[in-house]
Amino acid sequence: MIWLPLYLLFYCLVTLYWARIAAQANGDHQTYFSSGHSLQPWVAGLVLAGASLSGWVVLGGAADIARHGFGQPALLQAGIALALPGVFFFKRLWLIAERLQLSSQGEVLRVYYRSEFLVVVSTLVAVLFAVGFAGMQLRALSDLVVQLTAGKVSAAEAGMGLSIVLFGYVVIGGMRAVGYLGAIQAVLLAAALIGLSGFALVGLGGFGALNTGLLALAADPVHAGLFSVAGVIQFTAGIGREAAAGHEGTALAGFGLFVALMGFQASPLAAKIVMSTRSPRAIGAGQTWVLAGFGGVLVVGCMGVLGAAALIDPALTVGAMLGTISPWFSAWLFVGLLAGVQLVAGLALLTAGEALVRHIYKPWFHSALGRHQTVTVTRVVIGLLALISVCMQALTPVTLSALGALALPLSVQLWVPLLGICWLRWMGRGAVMAGVGFGIAGVLLTEPAGHAALSFLGLDLPWGRWPWTLHSALWGIVPNLGVALLVAAFTQRHPLNDEAQDVRRLLDVTLRGGSRVRALKTTAWSAVLAWLFLAAGPGLIFGNTAFLGTDGVWLVGMPSLWGWAVMFWATGLGLVWFLSYKMEMASPLTLQIPPYTPPPRLRRDQTQAEHARLRAALITLAVASAAVVLTVLSFGG
Amino acid sequence: MPDKYPLVDRGILVFAIWAVFGFLGLGLFLEGMARDVWGLAAVGVGVVVLAFVGHIIVNGVFDTGFTPGEAALGIGTYGLLGFLFVLGALQGGMTLADFHAGLTLFGALGAGFLAYLFTRHGLRGAFSRFHVQRDGLQGKGAR
Repeated sequence: MIWLPLYLLFYCLVTLYWARIAAQANGDHQTYFSSGHSLQPWVAGLVLAGASLSGWVVLGGAADIARHGFGQPALLQAGIALALPGVFFFKRLWLIAERLQLSSQGEVLRVYYRSEFLVVVSTLVAVLFAVGFAGMQLRALSDLVVQLTAGKVSAAEAGMGLSIVLFGYVVIGGMRAVGYLGAIQAVLLAAALIGLSGFALVGLGGFGALNTGLLALAADPVHAGLFSVAGVIQFTAGIGREAAAGHEGTALAGFGLFVALMGFQASPLAAKIVMSTRSPRAIGAGQTWVLAGFGGVLVVGCMGVLGAAALIDPALTVGAMLGTISPWFSAWLFVGLLAGVQLVAGLALLTAGEALVRHIYKPWFHSALGRHQTVTVTRVVIGLLALISVCMQALTPVTLSALGALALPLSVQLWVPLLGICWLRWMGRGAVMAGVGFGIAGVLLTEPAGHAALSFLGLDLPWGRWPWTLHSALWGIVPNLGVALLVAAFTQRHPLNDEAQDVRRLLDVTLRGGSRVRALKTTAWSAVLAWLFLAAGPGLIFGNTAFLGTDGVWLVGMPSLWGWAVMFWATGLGLVWFLSYKMEMASPLTLQIPPYTPPPRLRRDQTQAEHARLRAALITLAVASAAVVLTVLSFGG
Repeated sequence: MPDKYPLVDRGILVFAIWAVFGFLGLGLFLEGMARDVWGLAAVGVGVVVLAFVGHIIVNGVFDTGFTPGEAALGIGTYGLLGFLFVLGALQGGMTLADFHAGLTLFGALGAGFLAYLFTRHGLRGAFSRFHVQRDGLQGKGAR
């Protein structure tokens, strides 16, 4: 088979071409991290949409529908779920970054809250995305390569090859390469998704035949659960401990998944793109028309078709299809999937590398590190992260999967600090830190990674994954918000620091809504809550029968829950538009933002303190390792 | 800081157009050849022409023409494919549908190329793109 290597070679050449263009524009290292905040707004919009959807839509979303049917219809609202956080945060985050001359989420958290804990959490989330989340997708791609080459290339070889390409363009071109290539990769991903769903429809004989097949499945009582939500909630002990009646797809399970998806645009990855952009002009259009609109169609239409086709005929799963269609199409579609995965993987690697070096290593241990050295060390760290990911893909896929599953729910926990920065001035440092701490605990206690760690130390929890059928994102964000609100109520007298006060003034003056916005506030709240209730919350159970005739006929020619999802995608698009433009949350802004001038401060020599800190870190590491070994020897293992 | 490379936008758009329409067109064309269905191959040619039209529109938006690299790549690919087509025809292994598909591709691309030159540069200007005059021979006596 010549086509796959040929197309992959062409793809490699394209990545190297853009890496070279980016490196020239960067002057090697001057604007490596944030492309000099000059990324074109339309490019940023495309990259944000592409990275939000990533290869997950095909490799994860469609596969989920193929396994569990339409019992989790909130999955089909991914376009809206991914777009909503950007509507809330991006415009304000861009303004703050522009004012304080910052270029990453970690920096914003450090300057606004003066909290190293939050910086570490943000860095951890970036690393989980780089190693776990993207690693899982790359592993799935490697398996596809094995299948397409009939085993001539092993998964480890494929993973290594794909990661070298990725490492190459990220290390050479930095953020600019990720942005320029990302726009092309996003388009390729969309084409691949449309192409794959087109082939699935052709394979089945059209959309009518697809729904005839689904109807036949629904008529079988064994498969009826594939087309209904299993109640609002089931108080089970969680996956692995107690099975739910029917299936795990309750309405609130769907809501948890919806909340988890909202984690991506609260992550440092999304913030990196926003803060590397020249202007916030295209945020509204990107979130509304590109992501919620076009991306939403891809999710509710193409992903739905792909999943449904594989549900009817296992020969129409993505892997099987790529193996049976003509090699030139197969290679092209594979490159599209590869582009989607590398888009998010490249962004994650760069963000994680920068966070580890610029936000942890440099300020704590080596503040004298120059710009050029910082870029060099970051390149080394990016290489190490890529290598760790490749090794885990080949050697420990289960651990990789457990780590990858933490990325989105932990990212959701960053909603609270971002709410404090962008909207709720009374949410102070202590409140946010306590909330995030509880949120992380909630996630870890309901995810396999946390269970495995505790079990290793000899503590077996009496519940499994996602108790009460609720996603870990929900188990995290509920205590997170609750504790943060509670602590905020008692810590109102703590003053904000200078930079935070300046940010508050800027947001108050620049984004003070007009009378129309103030008048529409109640309407906006009501619309959001009503939409969430019906499209992704308990109201999903109405979707079981909303488009079902008395004699079991599907009134809209497709499963009732799918029709419900399409209807609420359309209304969700209207909601995103309303919030973006009418409520001015993401509307274009053409103001010049003058940079903040900090009061003069004495810069002290940090060398002694950094050496002491390094010693303390090493001693802590050694003591902690010894304590873990002792605990494991005594109780676990 | 404004981007020092304003043509980057154009480059991204051109790459995206060819990554989608170029490869889709090529795939359809090859599928038509493989299945001996001229109509399918013709659709593929149509999609490739569509990619060209998209490229020309982008050029128009950014007020530029094809870069030397693009021209070299395009003409080189055209020549290579033409060579392979002639080789295939001489070997005699082609079906009638393959032959027609090849003629459609080269005919459409050739005609499209000439139409582009004439509309962009005019009849005389299009000829001048290829008629290289030696230094010192320009003027009244130049032939």
